[in-house]
Amino acid sequence: MSTQNSRRTRMVSTVAVAAMGTLVLASCSGSDEGGDTARFSMTYATSNNLESPYETLANEYMETHDVDIELNPQPNDNYAQSLRTQLQGGNAADIIQTAPGSGQGQSLIELSDAGFLTKLGSGAEALVPEGSEDLFGADGVYGVPMDYTIVATAFNETAAAENDVTFPADTDELLATCADLGGAPVSAFALAGAAAPNTGMMALSISATKVFAEDPAWNQKRIDGEVTFAESEGWHDTLELIVEMNEADCFQPGAAGAGFEAITNGLAAKSSLTAFVPSGAVHEIMSGPAEGQELTLQPFPSAGEEDFILASSNYSLSLNAAAGDAASEAAQDFLAWVAEPEQSQTFADIAGVLPASGYAELDLSGTAYAPVADALQADRFAPLPNSQWVNQSVYDELGSGVQGLLTGQSTVDDVLAAMDQAWDN
Amino acid sequence: MTTSATEIVTVPRRRRGRGPAGTRPRSGGLLSFGHWWWALPGIVLVFGVHYAANAVGGFFAFTDWSGIGSFNMIGFDNFVRIFRDPSKILALGNSLFLAFGSVIASNVLALALAVGLNRILKTRYVLRTLFFMPTVLSPLAVSYIWKFIYEFDGPLNGLLAMIGLDGLVRPWLADPSLAIWMILIVIVWQNIGFALVIYMAGLASVPVEVEEAAAIDGANLWQRFWNIVLPSIRPAIAIATTLGIVNGLRIFDHIMALTGGGPADATQTLATEMYKQAFSLGNFGYGAALALLLTIVILFFAVLQQRATRGPKEV
Repeated sequence: MSTQNSRRTRMVSTVAVAAMGTLVLASCSGSDEGGDTARFSMTYATSNNLESPYETLANEYMETHDVDIELNPQPNDNYAQSLRTQLQGGNAADIIQTAPGSGQGQSLIELSDAGFLTKLGSGAEALVPEGSEDLFGADGVYGVPMDYTIVATAFNETAAAENDVTFPADTDELLATCADLGGAPVSAFALAGAAAPNTGMMALSISATKVFAEDPAWNQKRIDGEVTFAESEGWHDTLELIVEMNEADCFQPGAAGAGFEAITNGLAAKSSLTAFVPSGAVHEIMSGPAEGQELTLQPFPSAGEEDFILASSNYSLSLNAAAGDAASEAAQDFLAWVAEPEQSQTFADIAGVLPASGYAELDLSGTAYAPVADALQADRFAPLPNSQWVNQSVYDELGSGVQGLLTGQSTVDDVLAAMDQAWDN
Repeated sequence: MTTSATEIVTVPRRRRGRGPAGTRPRSGGLLSFGHWWWALPGIVLVFGVHYAANAVGGFFAFTDWSGIGSFNMIGFDNFVRIFRDPSKILALGNSLFLAFGSVIASNVLALALAVGLNRILKTRYVLRTLFFMPTVLSPLAVSYIWKFIYEFDGPLNGLLAMIGLDGLVRPWLADPSLAIWMILIVIVWQNIGFALVIYMAGLASVPVEVEEAAAIDGANLWQRFWNIVLPSIRPAIAIATTLGIVNGLRIFDHIMALTGGGPADATQTLATEMYKQAFSLGNFGYGAALALLLTIVILFFAVLQQRATRGPKEV
C-alpha cells in the first residue's frame, strides 16, 4: 500500500503515544555497555513468498542495534497449533506474534489467561487503538498492536469498469447486479465456500451492517448472556441475505466447493468483481496476480443506512512470560522500537494494512482504502466480531454453517443454534 | 492365521528344557537364536513412546483441557457430549462407511485383479506395477490430484460437458450426498494395489496340481475358485481385510486434502473431528475423547474381523 498521507501530521499525532510507549516498555537502555550482544528470539506466521514485515523490522533493528534476533517463522496454517505446543513445552520464542482478543488459537487473551504472556508496562495502554482496549488483556496490556486491519469487500474496479458495473449502494441493488451478471462468465463475488474462514468472513462483513451498526455492543451483551444468536434479528438477516445472494447467482459457479484460489484467480482473471478479504489481502493480490489492476476496499452495502465496517488490530507482538531476564529486557526494547510511528508505518506498508497508531488522521484519498475512509474517520466501525467471541468453535460453526446454507444442508436457524451451542460449551 | 489345507504340518510341542522326543536341547552356540532380553530396548521404547503417550492422551479425555494452561477433571462429560452431538454420530458413521466400504471394494477388486494377473496374461508384470503404483504415492499427493479432477472447472466436469452430459456437471466435493462417495473412490483407487500384492502372494502358494485335478474332475472355473483358491488364500484375506479395516477407520489425509471434512461437516470422520477439535479449535480434552473412542472402535472391529476370518482350528 502506498498511502499518500501527511507524514508530518501523523508524526505529530503519534509521537506522544510512541514516546510514552517507549518509556514504559523499555525497562532499560538498549545500549550494550557490558560488551555481550543481547539476544532474543521471535516467532511469527508466514504464509506466502512475499516479504515478511516482522523479518524486515527485525533485520532493520539488528542493523541499528547491537542485538541478535533469532527469527523463527512458522507456516500460517498451523501457526496457532505450533505456538501453543511450544508454549506448553516451554520452548517458545521470547517474542511471539499473537492476535488481539480471543477466539483464535494465538489470541492473547487466552494465552495471557493461561499465564504465558508478560504484562507490558502501565503506559502501554496508550499504544492500544481506541475502542480495542478489551482485546489486549483484561488486567493490563499483553501485546503491542502492529496494524489496523479493515474487513470489507475487495472490489476490482478494473474488471467492474469493463463490465459496466458500479459498486452497489444498497442490498437491493446488490442482488440486482448479481442477477444481471448471472454468475458466469463473470460473477459479482468470488467465494471460497469450502474454506470456513472465508465463508465466516463473508458473514461477519455482512453482520457489520445488520448487527453491529445497530448495536455495536452486541458482543458484550452476548458475553453477558443478554442476547443469543438464535434470537438476534440482525444475525437472522445476515444469514438470510447470504441465502438470497446465493439464489441471485452472486457467487461464481461451484462456489460452495471452492478454495481460496478461487478468490485470487477470480479477482486476477476478472471473472469475479468482489471478494470478502481482509485489507492486507488486497495488497497481496494487487502486488501479485492482479498486478496492474485497481482494487479498492468497499464497505458492504447497507440497506439505505450509513456505511459501517469492521476494523481492529489483527496482529500483535507479545512477550513470552518464560523469557529469561536478559532476553526479556532486550525484547522489551525491541517492542518499544516497533511501536514507534516509523516502524509502525513500515509494517503497514509491507503488510498492506493501516498503521496501528494514527490511522484516523491518515489521508486515504487515492488509496485502496478511500471508500472506507469516511466510516473509519467517523468511528462507524466495530472490532472484528470473532475477536471477542469466547472460543474458536463459534466462528467455525458460522463458517461451516454458511457453507451448509449454500449447499442446502442447513437452515439459518440451524446455523445460529449451533453457534449458540458452541458458545455455551 | 492357518496354513493352507494342502500344507498342514504338525509340529510336535516342545517340552520345557527338552528337545523333540524328549532329547536334550542343543546348547547355545551359533545356532541359538537370541534371547528375549535382546528385545528389551525396543520393548521399553515402544511402551515409553507409544503406550505411555497414549495412556496420557487417554487421561486427557476425562478433562476439559484446552491444550494450554490448567484443566479440570470432568469425568465422562466429553463422551456424553460426543453421543449427544448429531455431527459426531455422523462422523462415526462416516468412519465406518469409509472403512468397510474401502475394505469391501478394494479387496473384491484387488482379488479379481490378482486372479486375472496371476498366471495367464503376458503383460501381467507390467500391469502389476501399474496397479501397485498408486499405493506407493503419498495419500496427500493422490488426493490433490483427484481434487483437481473433481473441481468444478476440472477434467471430470469438462469431460461430462464435452460428451453432452451437462446435467451431471456439479461441484462433486461440495455435494453433501456425493462427497463421501468421491472420497471413497480415491481411497479404493489407492488401496487396491496394497491388497493386490497380498493376494498375489497368496495365490502363488495355491498348488496348480490341485486346480488341474479339480478341472479334470469336471469343476468349472467358479467352482475351482470358490472351493480351492479361496480357502487356500484365507490367510491373505485375513491380513488384507484386517489391515484395511484398521487403516480405513483412521483415514485422515484423503479427507483433509479433498474436503477438509466439508461440505458443512458432511464428510467428517472420527479422525478428522479429533484433529479439528484438539488442534484447530483448542478443545484438547474433547479431541482426546474422540481419539479414545476411535481407538476402541478400531480395536473392536480388528478383533471381530480376526475372529471372523480365522480358519478351521488345527488339530
